[in-house]
Amino acid sequence: MIKSIEEYLEQLKTELHGSDAATIQDALSDAEEHLRAALANLRDAQPEISEQEALGQVIEHYGSPSETASAYAEVERRTVPQLTRETPKNTSLGNFFGVYTDARAWGALLYMLIAFVTGVLYFIWAVTGLSISLSFSIFIFGLPLALLFLLSVRGLALLEGRLVEALLGVRMPRRPLFTQQNLKWFDRLKELAMDKHTWFSILYMFIQFVLGTIYFVLFVTVLSFSLSLFAIPFIQEVFDQGAILVSGDTYSYVPTFFYPLLILGGVLLWTTFMNIARGAGKLHGRLAKFMLVTD
Amino acid sequence: MVDLPTLTKKFQKELNAGIASLVLLSVLNKNANPMYGYQIAKLLEDYSGDASFMKQGGLYPVLHSLENSGLLESKVEPSVSGPPRRYYEITSEGRETLVIWQGVWKQMKSFVDRAIK
Repeated sequence: MIKSIEEYLEQLKTELHGSDAATIQDALSDAEEHLRAALANLRDAQPEISEQEALGQVIEHYGSPSETASAYAEVERRTVPQLTRETPKNTSLGNFFGVYTDARAWGALLYMLIAFVTGVLYFIWAVTGLSISLSFSIFIFGLPLALLFLLSVRGLALLEGRLVEALLGVRMPRRPLFTQQNLKWFDRLKELAMDKHTWFSILYMFIQFVLGTIYFVLFVTVLSFSLSLFAIPFIQEVFDQGAILVSGDTYSYVPTFFYPLLILGGVLLWTTFMNIARGAGKLHGRLAKFMLVTD
Repeated sequence: MVDLPTLTKKFQKELNAGIASLVLLSVLNKNANPMYGYQIAKLLEDYSGDASFMKQGGLYPVLHSLENSGLLESKVEPSVSGPPRRYYEITSEGRETLVIWQGVWKQMKSFVDRAIK
């Protein structure tokens, strides 16, 4: 006999053990929303029945933890994140150039650009939030500020998860983490502060700043270098202008027989980078999953 | 020995798998306002009368998967009491899909009716 919604959620979590961490988070949040609404509704309609009886009825309609778990497992089995569908593999050369048709590689490239912006924003937010919360914590109004900051970290972690799932194809939570309701704000703060998930998310915000910068620098450097290799024949033939700056305003020409090599070099460089981006995206997805999703 | 209740339960579950999507889309199409999970479950309870075809908990993963396919959209709004609620709304792709699915269901229904008569 399940005595409380918390107990139901605990059992559901146990039943879902082994499923994707993000699915578990979604399932718990759905169940909490539904059970609380249903329980409140039933208690209003029939105030004469006991809390225990009402909960029993509500769970009877919602399904036992094991029934609910199997419903999620079933649907999850049928729907995988869009980008994880593998492209057919053939030779290693085909694999190398096949990167252009791989949505994950393009997603990873886009993510590398966005990570620079989000990294900077996360960093500013985390530093500001932490320092304001810490320095004001000697006053009583510092604590609500700390609570707001920690809540915002949770929200940003969810948002980052959505971005990671869309661009890197790693399944991330689609619903906020469930939290106990009816907590006093001070207890809520204590709960958030004791949860390692919160601190991992803040750590992630710092790491994102470093990684985002590295991704961005690599992206821009490799892109401009590859493009300049393509541009050399074009500049020399169309504008009749030497591509190599010798000194002052003297330019020397790259010999014509180098053109195919330049183009080939540009293609290879960019293709290699696309492959690296795909790999980096995969690793970043794993990092995000480890840091932002509770187990 | 044939385990009748288990087999029947399994049969019901297999039937529900596709029908739940059709029913959820229809309900959200009929209602002008976005609805949250419990509201939808309540409404379905009214439709089904005493018979209960599926556990309410099974509706949520179907809602997620419809949202993932772009047939529904959702947004979270705080509620006066209890946790914030996720409101679901049908998209225009969802409406187009629903029309086709209703056609499929009609054909299926008349086929099954004729077959089991």
